Amino acid sequence: MDTNIIDILIVEDNKNDLELTLRALKKNNIANHIHVIPDGAEAMDYFFGTGKYLNRNMSQNPKMVILDLKLPKVDGLEILRKIKSDERTKAIPVVILTSSKEESDVVQGYKLGANSFIVKPVDFDKFMVTVRDLGMYWLLLNEPPK
Amino acid sequence: MNNKTHLVILVILFSFACYTHAQTNQGNDTLSGKIIRITIASEPDYPPFCLVDKNGKADGFSIELFKAIAKEEHIVTTIKFGTWVKIKQDLAEGKINALPLVGRTPEREALYDFTFPYLTLHGGVFVREGTKGINSIADLKDKTVIVMKGDNAEEFVRRNNIAKTIITTHTFAAAFRLLAAGSYDAVITQRVLGIRLLKDLNIDGIIPLNIPMDNFRQDFCIAVKKGDTALLAKLNEGLSVVIANGTYDKIHLKWFGPDIKERYTYNNLIKLLIYILIPIIALLLLIAVYTLRKLVKSRTKRLNEEILEHKKTLNALHSRQILLTEMEKVSKVGGWVHDVVTNKVTLTDGVYAIFGISPLEMDPKENDFGLDYLIAEDKTLFNLALSQTIATGEPFDLELQLNSADGTLKWVRTSGHAEYNNGKIVSIFGNVIDISRQREVESNLRKLTGDLESLVNERTAELNEKVEKLNKSQQAMLYMVEDLNRVTSELKQERQNLETANKELEAFSYSVSHDLRAPLRAMDGFTRILQEDYASKLDDEGKRLLNIVSDNAKKMGHLIDDLLKFSRLSRKELTFSEINMYDLANDVYQQSCSDKDKGKIEFRLHNIPPAFGDSSMMRQVWVNLISNAIKFSSHKAKQLIEIGCNTEGSQNHYYIKDNGDGFDMLYINKLFGVFQRLHAESDFEGTGVGLAIVQRIILRMNGRVWAEGKVDEGATFYFVLPKANK
Repeated sequence: MDTNIIDILIVEDNKNDLELTLRALKKNNIANHIHVIPDGAEAMDYFFGTGKYLNRNMSQNPKMVILDLKLPKVDGLEILRKIKSDERTKAIPVVILTSSKEESDVVQGYKLGANSFIVKPVDFDKFMVTVRDLGMYWLLLNEPPK
Repeated sequence: MNNKTHLVILVILFSFACYTHAQTNQGNDTLSGKIIRITIASEPDYPPFCLVDKNGKADGFSIELFKAIAKEEHIVTTIKFGTWVKIKQDLAEGKINALPLVGRTPEREALYDFTFPYLTLHGGVFVREGTKGINSIADLKDKTVIVMKGDNAEEFVRRNNIAKTIITTHTFAAAFRLLAAGSYDAVITQRVLGIRLLKDLNIDGIIPLNIPMDNFRQDFCIAVKKGDTALLAKLNEGLSVVIANGTYDKIHLKWFGPDIKERYTYNNLIKLLIYILIPIIALLLLIAVYTLRKLVKSRTKRLNEEILEHKKTLNALHSRQILLTEMEKVSKVGGWVHDVVTNKVTLTDGVYAIFGISPLEMDPKENDFGLDYLIAEDKTLFNLALSQTIATGEPFDLELQLNSADGTLKWVRTSGHAEYNNGKIVSIFGNVIDISRQREVESNLRKLTGDLESLVNERTAELNEKVEKLNKSQQAMLYMVEDLNRVTSELKQERQNLETANKELEAFSYSVSHDLRAPLRAMDGFTRILQEDYASKLDDEGKRLLNIVSDNAKKMGHLIDDLLKFSRLSRKELTFSEINMYDLANDVYQQSCSDKDKGKIEFRLHNIPPAFGDSSMMRQVWVNLISNAIKFSSHKAKQLIEIGCNTEGSQNHYYIKDNGDGFDMLYINKLFGVFQRLHAESDFEGTGVGLAIVQRIILRMNGRVWAEGKVDEGATFYFVLPKANK
């Protein structure tokens, strides 16, 4: 897969959640170019063109990042902080999609510049609706800055 | 024979009488020293006794004599003039005080008092020169004589019937002029006066006859009014003085010249003795008396002065003696002298006072200092010291004890030093001081010092004890502080542990919220996928079973959510403010209740007072309680929900009452427990966390919560909160 043309980047380690998310996005016909990164360290490599993503075109950023918080190696909030404090990645819309309703996470997430904070519901129907709304909103209505 | 001769004779003759007289008259001198003012009168024309000088002033022998007397006796005299008859009358009537020249006659003695005579004159018969036939007084019997009216001569001739006819004139001058002119036979007057008058009048041819006139002798005196004895005494005294001091003789010489030569016959001498000497003797006697009196007075005065001086000295000495004695008494000291030569001892009163005896009680014998009063060993000590001083001259100073007469034991201090005369010790002077009081004070002082020391020791001991106690207390305190520190550090440790535990709990909650929900999501999600993608391959039973899986997954999700919510309550920080409970309860009710439910619910919300607490938490309380009330009364055809508040003291008791299924009070303990349910899940949905959350919130707001209920009759939930602080 060409990592240079990515509409949605999903950083998620839980395969089940990932499958459900992808299903929801597909069902709603969003996302042709979806890229998934299953751990924090790799996500960092992607964003800053290091390691495995050394040759990534840094000018081509994903239209949206769906970020889980609980990740192996580097956690979601750390990744968020790095993205939002780097000029190259600062403008990428980041939606936090997580199981946690912990207030501290929510507050911290927004503080670090998360564009939205969404809790994954247990109820599958609700989950489908949430993801559809999320994808529609960010991909269709928001024009990312050039 | 002059007055001095008289004086000598008289002094010899009467000297024996003088002393007694002087003594009796002493102190009779009442008028001396005072100035007396008197008025006298004089005839202008009775030379040489009384006359007027060229300046119109009174003069003459009598006047001058009177002045001398007056001067001597401090008498101020005013002299008037008048005819003899007039002035005689004036004196008798008291208009004047004295007449300087009055012949003393029996007739006059009735009217006046007289000084002793200062001049005696004899009468004389004056005839024209060549007259014959008058050789004696008897020869005048058939003659006519001229006299001055009121004069002694008139009195004399009338008294003795001397002449056949008596012619009177106002003055003797007139009488002599008549006689010189050839009228009458003779003039009788004082012989001296007559001669002088004739000379003054320049009448020749008139001579005095040498006929003695024994019965016509005149003693001339100063006269005062009858009874004026004070003035009389003064004049007598003055007269004596002028005679005694020679003034009389000087005046006499001035007016009469050298003595008229007289022949002193035996008869005359007798007469002289009788008529002159006796008065003179009397006079001299008086003078002597006076002089002696003066002498005695002055001697007495001097003697008195000497006596006074002596007395003064004696008094001073006595005062000093008293002072010394008093001083000795007060200061309890005494003095002694030991005469080395005679061995005689003299003690002052102070020494006796120290012995407690009077000076009369002990007569110091030889070498006796009252040593018997001393206690035996001190007696020896004193004797030794004294003999050493006598031998060497070295002074001594001893403190000794004696038993005084009244039995008190006294401490005395005595010192002695030698007195030298010509290099030899003649006496030992010493003093004795009663130092009992001093000793007593010293002993008291020593005792006091001792007491003080023991007191100080006692106090010091007490203080030390206290200090020790304090030290112990301090030690105890230190231990306590140590304990406290230990406890504090333990507490700190505990706190740290607690914090760690809290963190672990947080981590746990976090895990729960993330990790526990993920599988559930997977269960529900994949069940749905199965249902969606494989619906054609599943029969109805298969679909039902999948639904059960899905429902339980969702339920598990709710349980986890509630559990997290509950655990978050303990950690969430509260913000206290005043909460409008009425509005809040009403709002919650409106949101918790569907329109359908509202139709069958009677919601009674009383005007409940505001509360003080965290408003978002409070909202949660109302959500849970109201939704419970709705839920548990949902089986009733007509639901009743009542919210109210009772105020008790400083607290508000809020309540919410429903008419639902209620509960059995038997299980009241389980009502507020987590995941505790009193109803079957099939009857009422729920996780069993709602009331646990209510209780947790109310407790955190310093309140409490409880409930009352009865099966099928509804339940009432109470919660108490402090009144809102206004």
